[in-house]
Amino acid sequence: MPSSVPADIPEAAGTARQAAAPRRSGVSLLGSELKVLFGRRRTWALLLALAAIPVLTAIAVRVSSAVPPGRGPAFLDRITQNGLFVAFTAMLVSVPLFMPLAVGVVAGDTIAGEANLGTLRYLLVAPAGRVRLLLVKYAGALAFCIVAPLTVGLAGAAIGAALFPIGPVTLLSGGVVQPQEAALRILLIAAYLAVSLAGLSAIGLFLSTMTVVPVGTMAATVVVSVVSQVLDQLPQLEWLHPWLFSHYWLGFGDMLRQPMVWDSFGSNALLQAGYVSVFGALAYGRFVTKDILS
Amino acid sequence: MHGDGARRRRPWLRWLPAAAAPVVIAAASLAGSLPAGASNPLPAKTPAQVLELAAGHQVRAFSGTVEQSADLGLPELPAAGKPAGPASPGSVASVIELLSGKHSARVFMDGQDNARIQVMDQLAERDVVRHGSDVWFYSSKDNTAEHATLPAHVQDPAQSKERQGGGGVHTPADVAQQFLSRIDPTTAVSVGPDVSVAGRAAYNLLIEPRTDGTLVGRVAIAVDGENGMPLSVQVTARGAGKPAFVSQFTSLSLEAPDASVFAFTPPPGSTVKELPVPDRPHGPSGAHTPGAMHGDAKGNVSVTGTGWETVVGTLHGSASAAGSLLQDPLLSQAAVAVPGGRLLSTALLNVLITDDGRIFAGMVPAERLQSAAAAAR
Repeated sequence: MPSSVPADIPEAAGTARQAAAPRRSGVSLLGSELKVLFGRRRTWALLLALAAIPVLTAIAVRVSSAVPPGRGPAFLDRITQNGLFVAFTAMLVSVPLFMPLAVGVVAGDTIAGEANLGTLRYLLVAPAGRVRLLLVKYAGALAFCIVAPLTVGLAGAAIGAALFPIGPVTLLSGGVVQPQEAALRILLIAAYLAVSLAGLSAIGLFLSTMTVVPVGTMAATVVVSVVSQVLDQLPQLEWLHPWLFSHYWLGFGDMLRQPMVWDSFGSNALLQAGYVSVFGALAYGRFVTKDILS
Repeated sequence: MHGDGARRRRPWLRWLPAAAAPVVIAAASLAGSLPAGASNPLPAKTPAQVLELAAGHQVRAFSGTVEQSADLGLPELPAAGKPAGPASPGSVASVIELLSGKHSARVFMDGQDNARIQVMDQLAERDVVRHGSDVWFYSSKDNTAEHATLPAHVQDPAQSKERQGGGGVHTPADVAQQFLSRIDPTTAVSVGPDVSVAGRAAYNLLIEPRTDGTLVGRVAIAVDGENGMPLSVQVTARGAGKPAFVSQFTSLSLEAPDASVFAFTPPPGSTVKELPVPDRPHGPSGAHTPGAMHGDAKGNVSVTGTGWETVVGTLHGSASAAGSLLQDPLLSQAAVAVPGGRLLSTALLNVLITDDGRIFAGMVPAERLQSAAAAAR
C-alpha cells in the first residue's frame, strides 16, 4: 500500500507539525496540503502514468501502419496527419478509466490516508476546525483534477509535435483552425475534464471519511465511477442518465465544434455542482460527528 | 470549543446539510422542468386561424437546436454497440440510425439558399451545408465529404427542402408540413392549451385523423404564437399513450446566423465524392422513406390513396434498392416475412419490400400496403 511507505511519513508528519502551529490561515494550510500532495512520489507516479498514455499512443501509431479512417477511438486515424490529435485521442482514451482511477486514488486518500497514518488527530489538535480541514483536503483533490487532464493534454501535444507534423486542425464540423486555437481547445477540454472529475472527487472525499483504510476508499471510488458509466449505457435506465455524474464525461467533443457548443459544459458544471454539494454535505455530516481515534 | 459542544449535544444537526442538499436539488430541478406558466397568454384563436398562422409563417432566418427522439419499435441496441456514425449521411443505415433513439442537431437557416444542419453525435458530427446551389454532406467519423450541385429545377424552395434534410433529422417546421398537408375534411383539428417550447409561447394544434386507414393516432404541433413557425411536433400512434416521434426546438434565436456558418470547404485530408445530379425531383410526400432516399425511385413512383392513407410505392422492381435495404443487418432482422414480401413494421410507418423488389411505404396498416402492392402489379 503506497501510503504506508516510510518515505511518506515525514511529509505527513510535517503537515501535522504545521497544523499544530496556532492561528494558521486556511491559505497556508492549503499551501502545505498542496506541497505534500505534489511532493509525494505516488502523485508523480500517477501523473507519469497518465502522461504515458499519449506517449504510448503516439509511438504505437508511429511504428504501425496507417489507421484506416473510422476505426479505433475517435481521432486516432488523424494522428499521422496532425500530431495535435494525439492530445485529443489520449484525453478521450483516459476518460473512462485512467482519470477516474488517478482521481480515486487521490480523493480516496484525503481523510482515510491521514487516519491510517495516525496523523489525523494531530491535524485536529489545533483549533483548525474539521470543516476547514475538509475544505482544504477537497481543494487538494480538485487541484489534482485540474493537473491530471492538463498533463495528458500537454504530454499529448508535446509527443505529437515531436513525432508528427503539426498543422491546422480539422474540427468535428469540418472547419479548420490554426494550431494556436487548437492548443486553446486542448486547454478547454482539460478544463471540461477537470469540472467532470469534481463530482467524483466529492464522492471520494465522502467515502474517505467513512473508514481508516485508504485502499478501500480508493477502490470504492473507482468502482462507483465504473458502475455509473455502465448504468449510463443501459437504455432501460434512460430516466436515470442525466443524473449520473459520468453522463457528460464524453461530451467534451462539443469543444471541438464550430461554432462551439457550451450546452454540455453548462449542464456538466451544474450536475457536478449538485454532486459536490450532496457528497460535500454528507462528508461534512460524517466528519464532524465521527470520533477521531487515529 | 463551541462547535464541539454542539457536536456532542446535537449531532443530528450536522447531518442537516446532507439532508437538505438533495431536497434543494430536487426542488430546483422540479421548478425547472415545470412548464412556464402562461404569464402572457396568447389571444384565443380558432383551429382554422392557427392553421392559417402556421401556413403563412415567413421565418426564413433563424438558428436553434432541435431534439428528435423516436421510439418506433425498431430493435434497440445498447448505446455502446451502436455505430457512432454511419459512413454516408444519406445511406439507409444512417437514416435508420437517425430514426431510432435520440438525436440533437443544430440548425442554421438564412433565406432560401443558406442552410446548415449539424447532427451532433458523441465525439462526431454529421453536417449538411447548403450555400446557393452547392450542397455538402460531411461526416467527421470517417472524414468524408460529399458534394452535390442542385440543378435549376430544384432551386425552388419547396423541393430543395428534400435535399436539405439532414438525412433523417429535419426541423419541426419541415416535419409539421408533412402532417399539415394531410389534413382533409375527415380530420379533427382542435387547439389545446398553450404550450411553451424553447421559451416561446405557442398554440398547441391537435390533429386527429378519423380514419382506421392510418397508424397515426394524434399529431400535436406547437405553432409559435408570434410568427406561426411550428416549434415542435409530437406524433402518437393509434392507441398508444406516449408519442412515438418527437421533434422540437430546445433553443431558438430568430436572428440571422453569421454568414461564415454556411461556408464549407472540405477539410484537408478528407475524402471528397461528387454525387450525381438527380434528373428529376423526388416524389413530393413520401421522399423520406428509405427507398426514395436512395434515388432509385426517380420516375418510378406510384402514389395511391390520399391524405392519411397515402401509400407511396415503386412501380418497377429494383433489386439493388431492395437488396441494399435487406443487407443492413438491423433491417434484415427487423423485417418479417409476410405474404407477398417482407414487412418492416414500426409504430408509425410500415414498409413492404415485395418479393420482386418493389418497395411500398406509408403510415398505414400492413394490409393496405399489401393490397396496394397487389393492385399496382
